[in-house]
Amino acid sequence: MNSVLTLELTVGIIVSFTLLGIFIWAAKGGQFDDSKKMMDGLLFDSQDDLQSAVDRENRVKELKEKKSKEQDSKPI
Amino acid sequence: MPIVKCTHCQLEFDESVMITEESDPSLYFCCNGCQGVYHLLKDDGLDSFYDKMGNSKIAPPLAVDNDSSSFDMESFRQRYIKTTSDGFSSVDLVMEGIHCAACIWLNEKVLADKEGIVEASINFTNNKAKIVWDEDTIALSTIIDTIRSIGYNAYPYDRSQEDIKATKNKRDYFIRMAIAIFASMNIMMIDVAKYAGFFSGMKEETLHLVHIAEFIFATPVLFYSGWIFFRGAYYGLKNRILNMDFLVSSGATLTYTYSLYILFGGKGHSYFDSVAMIITFVLVGKYLEVIGKKNAVDTMDKIRSQVPLEATIVEDGVKRVVPLDSIEVGNIIEVKTGEKATVDGLLIGSSGTFDESSLSGESLPVEKKAGDTIYSGTINTGKVIRYSATKNYANSTLNNIVTLLEDALSSKPEIEDTTNELSKYFSITILLLAILTFVGWYWYGGDFEQALIVSISVIVIACPCALALATPIASLIGISWAAEKGLLFKEAKFIETFSKADTVVLDKTGTITEGKLTVKDVRGEILTEHLPILYALSDSSTHPVSLAVKNYLENRFKDIEIVELENIEQIQGKGLKANYNGKVVLGGNGKLLKEYNIDINLDSDYTVYNFALDGKIIASFELEDAIKEGAKELIAYLNSIEVEVVMATGDHENVARRVAKEVGIKNFKSSFSPIEKADYIDTLKEQGKKVVMIGDGINDALALSKADIAIAMGSGADVSLAVSDVVILNNSLQAIEDSFMISRRTFKFIKQNLALSLIYNVITIPIAMAGYVIPLMAALSMSLSSLLVVGNSMRIKRG
Repeated sequence: MNSVLTLELTVGIIVSFTLLGIFIWAAKGGQFDDSKKMMDGLLFDSQDDLQSAVDRENRVKELKEKKSKEQDSKPI
Repeated sequence: MPIVKCTHCQLEFDESVMITEESDPSLYFCCNGCQGVYHLLKDDGLDSFYDKMGNSKIAPPLAVDNDSSSFDMESFRQRYIKTTSDGFSSVDLVMEGIHCAACIWLNEKVLADKEGIVEASINFTNNKAKIVWDEDTIALSTIIDTIRSIGYNAYPYDRSQEDIKATKNKRDYFIRMAIAIFASMNIMMIDVAKYAGFFSGMKEETLHLVHIAEFIFATPVLFYSGWIFFRGAYYGLKNRILNMDFLVSSGATLTYTYSLYILFGGKGHSYFDSVAMIITFVLVGKYLEVIGKKNAVDTMDKIRSQVPLEATIVEDGVKRVVPLDSIEVGNIIEVKTGEKATVDGLLIGSSGTFDESSLSGESLPVEKKAGDTIYSGTINTGKVIRYSATKNYANSTLNNIVTLLEDALSSKPEIEDTTNELSKYFSITILLLAILTFVGWYWYGGDFEQALIVSISVIVIACPCALALATPIASLIGISWAAEKGLLFKEAKFIETFSKADTVVLDKTGTITEGKLTVKDVRGEILTEHLPILYALSDSSTHPVSLAVKNYLENRFKDIEIVELENIEQIQGKGLKANYNGKVVLGGNGKLLKEYNIDINLDSDYTVYNFALDGKIIASFELEDAIKEGAKELIAYLNSIEVEVVMATGDHENVARRVAKEVGIKNFKSSFSPIEKADYIDTLKEQGKKVVMIGDGINDALALSKADIAIAMGSGADVSLAVSDVVILNNSLQAIEDSFMISRRTFKFIKQNLALSLIYNVITIPIAMAGYVIPLMAALSMSLSSLLVVGNSMRIKRG
């Protein structure tokens, strides 16, 4: 009986602390700073929005690469 | 005519005034701005914005005429633009025109899709935005133009250290609170098993397992979430003050230590649940305080963002853009259409029109002629003008208002916090009693464990939870109740101040009255031959009186013939003079007519507009500003609860007397300037009165900032809303009655809660000292005392 309880408690505690860790990671990244936006954000995640977010991310990545190349090629 | 919704902003108007399109008759627009933005969004494939808006309404697009090139200037760059580690540029902006989550989505989407923008994030809660972009690809002025093209506007602000600190602090408290709530909820679930076992029997080993699980959850709550209490207690001790933090941290630590002793071999029950609850309950209250502080910082940033950055001065025919601080008295300053005047001065050359709504609350532009004073902060709505500076920036109206508001926001009198005052003595007393109990039991009984358990019971049973919860829980319920009724109390402490208020000072225009003039009565007959002349005269000015007469004529007569008047001349403060077919046409007040030797014997309590042709009065119009719905009822209510009501207005005595009489106000002050209003509030406060000021328009901002409680009506200007402590969203006077009722009732319950928790302590502490309470019962009883306070607070809304 107690061994089952030990197992349940151990698994429960590990899972819940892992979830808590993910939450803290998200909170530290500023995801919950804007309480109003956080509540509405979910409603606006359509497939189009996600696609344009991916496109945007790729574009920003290219821009960052271009910028870092420019900075590297600048004479010291 | 049916009422229809504007396809873009969703505001409702009469169908006859809407703009329609032949290509799609289902579209209705209230203005060209809405029509333009609608097509822009549709062409760019962003029309899903309207689905996302849901039932929200937005304001029609802001018409911004001024040039955005100042965003690319070097002085702007030095002050506001920062460079990121990647080599991109970054600017912080305050967004104007944001109403709903869809507005945020639209702005972020439009900006993020623009080539060269790396990051565009807008905070919905405080409307602040951060834009990161590549200057080689796009200019900041283009980004600003993009925002303006979709009907919004943005102002830069210098992100203060204060703001960075407040944001960091809020996030830190949020994480600590979230962990505490998470762990407490888990412990509560485990507690169900523990207490069931306590009454029905549980094996020692099983109980031990439960204690281990509780220990794992309670430890981060005490040492991570509760860290701020240890820190607070340390600083308190350093300054020789035993504060609430000390009692919370010492109570929780002792309980935790005792529970550890039980966990590692001692007999009895552990109290890890009490440890987590104590920290969690008090932490939630602290988090609310932190949010309040962050809101104050956001408000100040919004006000600062309204100040222009530089001005164009003209020296020997050469124009030069200079920072505000470099403007000297005597400099000639040029103000383009849509720009703000930066310092006070006198208009030179031709006449102009200025939007003084930011100072006077007057929504219509004011006409200025050479020699008239131009106030800083007002917007040029006419052609380009030049004026001579009579003050430098530091002494100008705009800076004075900003400084006064900064002072008001940072030095709002902190009301004496009854709970903190009490807790100081409470902490010392409980600690002494616990030590006394321990010494007494050990001395007489000789049993260390017994003495420790009894003394811990004293600390636990006297846990400050109920005391600490007494104020925040009642305030929270009061605030949320107020919010349901369209009232926003910016901080919890305003409930107490409001409940103690004994004097209400009301502005007239826009608060008691609608703020819109309408013709009440016409004396004399308007003949068909005179009508076009009168109409042309009233049409040649944008003064509210002329506009009201024009509206009256348009409503009463159809198809008025259009005639041209000659030599139209505005006579400041009196009216208009013009010529028609060689005859003198006059339109204005009694002073104007007397100036032209025309006898007038009209004694009226209303604003009067006379129309005279060729030396004879043709008609006199009496205009009134309609009393707002609910004004009489509000005054009657305030009188019934024995609150003194004073009306302070810039209007003439006759008008003020009539309005005061009509709504039942006995005490009124007329012809008051904004500064006189503020001084009057100071005088009232010196007499020991707690003053509530209700107003709108920035002309009230000063007086609002001086009052103990400032209330701005919902239609007021942004700055007025910023300085107000209670914001009325639905613009109804009933809400003021509600504010009084809710705050008084809430404060009554705060006092009841404090009394309940004190009575609880007075009864239970002696019982605990006598050793009749084991720590478990102490913890249960402590939780019950908290429940008592929470339950009592729930009754607030039943009023």
